Amino acid sequence: MLISYRWLARHVDLSNISAEQLGDDLTLSTAEVEGIEPFAPHLEDVVVGHVTQRVPHPDADKLSVCTVDAGAAGDGTPLTIVCGAPNVDAGQNIALARVGCVLPGDFKIKKSKIRGVESRGMICSLKELELGDDHSGIWVLPAQAPVGEAVASALDMRDWVIEIDNKSLTHRPDLWGHRGIAREVAAIYERPLLPLDLSLPETGDAAPFPIAIESDRCPRYTGLAIDGARALPSPAWLRNLLLAVGQRPFDQLVDLSNFVMLDLGQPNHTFDRSRLSAEGIVVRQARQGETIQTLDGEERKLLETDLLICSGDEPVALAGIMGGEGSKVGEDTSELLLEVATFAPATVRRTSSRLGLRTDASARFEKSLDPTLPADAAAHYARLLSELQPEVRFPAPLSDAGQWQDPAHVLELRPAAVHTALGKTLPDGELTSILTRLGFGVEAAGELLRVSVPSRRATKDVTIERDLIEEIGRLHRYGNLPERTLLAEVTPFQADPRRALVRRIQDRLAGAARFHETLSYSFMDVGWLERTGLDAGPWVTLANPGIEGLSRVRRAVLPSLFVGLERARRQRGDVRLFEVGKGYLPEHAGEDGQPREVHQLALVWAGTPPGKKARWDEPRLHRLHAVLEDLFASLELAAPCWGPLAGEQPGEQAGEQDGETPIWSHPARGFRAHWAGQDAPAATVAELDPRLARDLGLAGELASDVAVAEISIDALLVAPPRPPSYRALPRYPGLELDVAAALDAGSSAASVDEAIRKAGKGLVQDVSLFDVYAGPNLGAGKKSLAFHVLLQSDTRTLTDKDGSKFLGRLEKGLSALGGELRKG
Amino acid sequence: MDIDTTLAEARERIRACDDAAALKAIEREMVGKDGVVSALLASIPSLPAEERRAVGQGANQLKQAVLDAVAERTAALESSAVEAQRGAGHFDASVPAPAVERGSLHPLTRVTRELEDQFLSMGYHVLDGPEVETDFYNFEALNIPPDHPARDSQDTFFIEREGEGPELVMRTHTSPVQIRAMQRLTPPFRAIAPGKTFRNESVDASHEHTFHQMEGIVIGEDISVGHLIGAMKTLLRGIFNRDLDVRLRPGYFPFVEPGFELDARCPFCETGCSVCKRTTWIELLPCGLVHPAVLSAGGLDPERWSGFAFGLGLSRLVMLRYGIDDVRHLLSGDLRFLEQF
Repeated sequence: MLISYRWLARHVDLSNISAEQLGDDLTLSTAEVEGIEPFAPHLEDVVVGHVTQRVPHPDADKLSVCTVDAGAAGDGTPLTIVCGAPNVDAGQNIALARVGCVLPGDFKIKKSKIRGVESRGMICSLKELELGDDHSGIWVLPAQAPVGEAVASALDMRDWVIEIDNKSLTHRPDLWGHRGIAREVAAIYERPLLPLDLSLPETGDAAPFPIAIESDRCPRYTGLAIDGARALPSPAWLRNLLLAVGQRPFDQLVDLSNFVMLDLGQPNHTFDRSRLSAEGIVVRQARQGETIQTLDGEERKLLETDLLICSGDEPVALAGIMGGEGSKVGEDTSELLLEVATFAPATVRRTSSRLGLRTDASARFEKSLDPTLPADAAAHYARLLSELQPEVRFPAPLSDAGQWQDPAHVLELRPAAVHTALGKTLPDGELTSILTRLGFGVEAAGELLRVSVPSRRATKDVTIERDLIEEIGRLHRYGNLPERTLLAEVTPFQADPRRALVRRIQDRLAGAARFHETLSYSFMDVGWLERTGLDAGPWVTLANPGIEGLSRVRRAVLPSLFVGLERARRQRGDVRLFEVGKGYLPEHAGEDGQPREVHQLALVWAGTPPGKKARWDEPRLHRLHAVLEDLFASLELAAPCWGPLAGEQPGEQAGEQDGETPIWSHPARGFRAHWAGQDAPAATVAELDPRLARDLGLAGELASDVAVAEISIDALLVAPPRPPSYRALPRYPGLELDVAAALDAGSSAASVDEAIRKAGKGLVQDVSLFDVYAGPNLGAGKKSLAFHVLLQSDTRTLTDKDGSKFLGRLEKGLSALGGELRKG
Repeated sequence: MDIDTTLAEARERIRACDDAAALKAIEREMVGKDGVVSALLASIPSLPAEERRAVGQGANQLKQAVLDAVAERTAALESSAVEAQRGAGHFDASVPAPAVERGSLHPLTRVTRELEDQFLSMGYHVLDGPEVETDFYNFEALNIPPDHPARDSQDTFFIEREGEGPELVMRTHTSPVQIRAMQRLTPPFRAIAPGKTFRNESVDASHEHTFHQMEGIVIGEDISVGHLIGAMKTLLRGIFNRDLDVRLRPGYFPFVEPGFELDARCPFCETGCSVCKRTTWIELLPCGLVHPAVLSAGGLDPERWSGFAFGLGLSRLVMLRYGIDDVRHLLSGDLRFLEQF
């Protein structure tokens, strides 16, 4: 909201208080001042000029060549200025923008030649100075304006515009007008609020204009009949105040309506009374399917919950939001009905949000306006109009309808509660002084203060003792309260296990595994999900997505990492990303209807595919598998069982959904980790489905080797820990052997591992696969698996004889598997 | 053969030798299996008895002397090699270190952890809350009933509803965790809750529809504005590693009463800069005493318990900390961004 400093000064003496000081103090005691700007600063540069001569332009019918005296603002030589306005004439005082002057819109005045005549400046219209819409001619200044002086001072137009953050006024219906802000200023500086006569001027004794209220959503509706009003231009003071706060001046009838709203915070509306039905005003709720054409020309479809102002049965205004076309005041209107009413805040708010029609009026009504205000506002309008147009008459008393009640009430305030909440003991006198300055009534009642809350603060804002404590705190200034230290008993602290676990995961992955942590949106794009085939729901869906299509709340974290994968691959040859986050499953909603929240870790490792001669363990699938093994070990979890992607998992019921291959995974190339006793696999690591990779744009030069993993943080939290263990250091040297087994390509490494351990008869301390090979010298359908084996005894040094016995047994074991021990 | 002459010649050759392999060759030639000394010793049986002893001694002396000379020369060669290494010519200290590949933690993670650690050390719990919230937790329990004008400023994302389920929203702030904390913990308690929040705003360099906040709540007996000021100053000291002037001014949030905006002196300037919009103050923490209605909604007796709450814009703090110019980078997943942390 914009507040004019000069306007405030109509209500409170501001001498010795600069606009800047005022802004700071309002910020510290009342509401956030977002900025203070001079009003129309260009008027400091535009000066009063006097046209001494005007001759027609020799080469253009519509242009005049003027000689302008700039007084002290000139260099003594009169200026020649070419002007196109029809109303310019010799003898006028005009607003002169000299060469170098910058007008609104960053319009810099330059020396120019117009049809052969040099022009040194511009004679301005109101529109060019942003003082109105009139561009039909130049702005003619009063004859007494001193020539050469800046227009701002010559016409006494200097002002400051104070911008207050509307959000900080949400709870204060009383601050949506200058008088309300002035009341705060008066309280802050301990100056009196200047009196304002809000009594209605004399009215005639005609019957009051008929008003009927048929809805409980209008607590009060007042109407004042006005005769003989004319739509004259407003005087400069009124125009300037309205301009300062960003309102476009129109004519006196409209300008006063706006002025009263911006002065007292009470919206109001004028109707052409001659166009209203003799049945009078009826306030009622709309009928299903009813429409109204609002002043902005739009046809609005209404619901039964909307509130209408009707002339008889004909809608003439959308209550509290905007008037209708039908009874608009025109230039020839002389009989008016001034409407000043109170409407239910929720009704105004719902209708205006639904129609997307936010107006100055609706913004005020939805804050719960004081129902005592309409009569005051009607009187204010009537008095101001009478001053401008003494001939207007008010033929009938104010019509006043509605079942409203004065919201003023009394609260008990315990000084001790003030001191406890603020952490400082204030003298009772200060409590009383602050509340009184703010317009509260204060009466001592034993230990308590009985505080009367004035109606303007009583609708919603001040309803409990704590609200009064706020009033005292802010006027005392929070900055004057002492700083205190929180004290508490020291109790042993239980860290949240999930946060602790997540931290260790992040550290291990960003550290040892050299992955980059990323964070993604929780929303997924519908089109993207469909294109990539990842759209299987059900989904938690936004009803009002901010960006078209970005409406699915993710079910899992991993697909978020796919979204930017193509870009990442363009940027880097090797991409390692992980994210810890949440997914939402609506099919598992809790008692309160909230979708089940799953906490997940997702990883992607993508990059240039390994070459033809790459080692068996170079594909990222194996490396990511290793990263997970390392991660689980670092988390001190028991080693999980790794099994194939699809099919029955250990401990799992046959046919359970979790046994299916994930949609993003290569059908076969992947592993699942499972801990004994858990129903579902805790981790899946796989190559990305090549179809999905193609759909993600990882084709052609971006063709990639992509391994991905999805891990349930929830499952890790309940995974069995690795018990603390220690193995005594060996006392005898061990025997290291490398063995290679040639088998059918379809046989498993695990079977060879088992055969090795069996052949070792308890001497095998370690087995590790170091090569997988398939080649022509092995024969078709064969592969070779090579292992390092460590044999070691606790009781003696092993000899070559132990080695050859082991190899003998292994040879038999392998042939039982259909394979053979490779020699050499 | 004259042993003395042989020794003198050998010594001369050893002294002149400047190559370890050649030195070994000389050693072999003199004292090896088929060397001079072996030949000498082999000749002893054929010598007259009275010479044998002298020749034997001479041979052994010769052997020892040669070994000593070789060892001495070897040591000298080694030490001149070491000296040569030490005196090696030009070294270019401007050659950059070869890159070590590394991973990174997201800056939001870094800053959140810093704050968590600080609060953990002061006895705060760290809580989590769902991103998809009910209307009750996000609004109603926080003293924002339906049709309250404060709902406007929240630009809420609503969830499509099927049937009669409760109204669900993407949480517009971390404040719902205040209620969850009151329900879960036994007072007195202190808790923070960092996390994702959502507002249906149009997106630009300084506005995002998804951003991170951190809620804080302290519940106890006789908690005052003074405690709030003290706690916020401590927090800011932790964030900026120095004391910053703060000011508390009125701010309106329905779930606190009184409510404040806490501004800190701009840590980046003294006379106004773009960060503080030339005011020298930066708006950092909305906060206030917990509204009695909120305590009631959380199941606490407002006559007995009181407290304060605050909210910290984590995304904004991260941007301030690192000087990040565009909020959209935070959740972009752009490696060029992530790799910098």
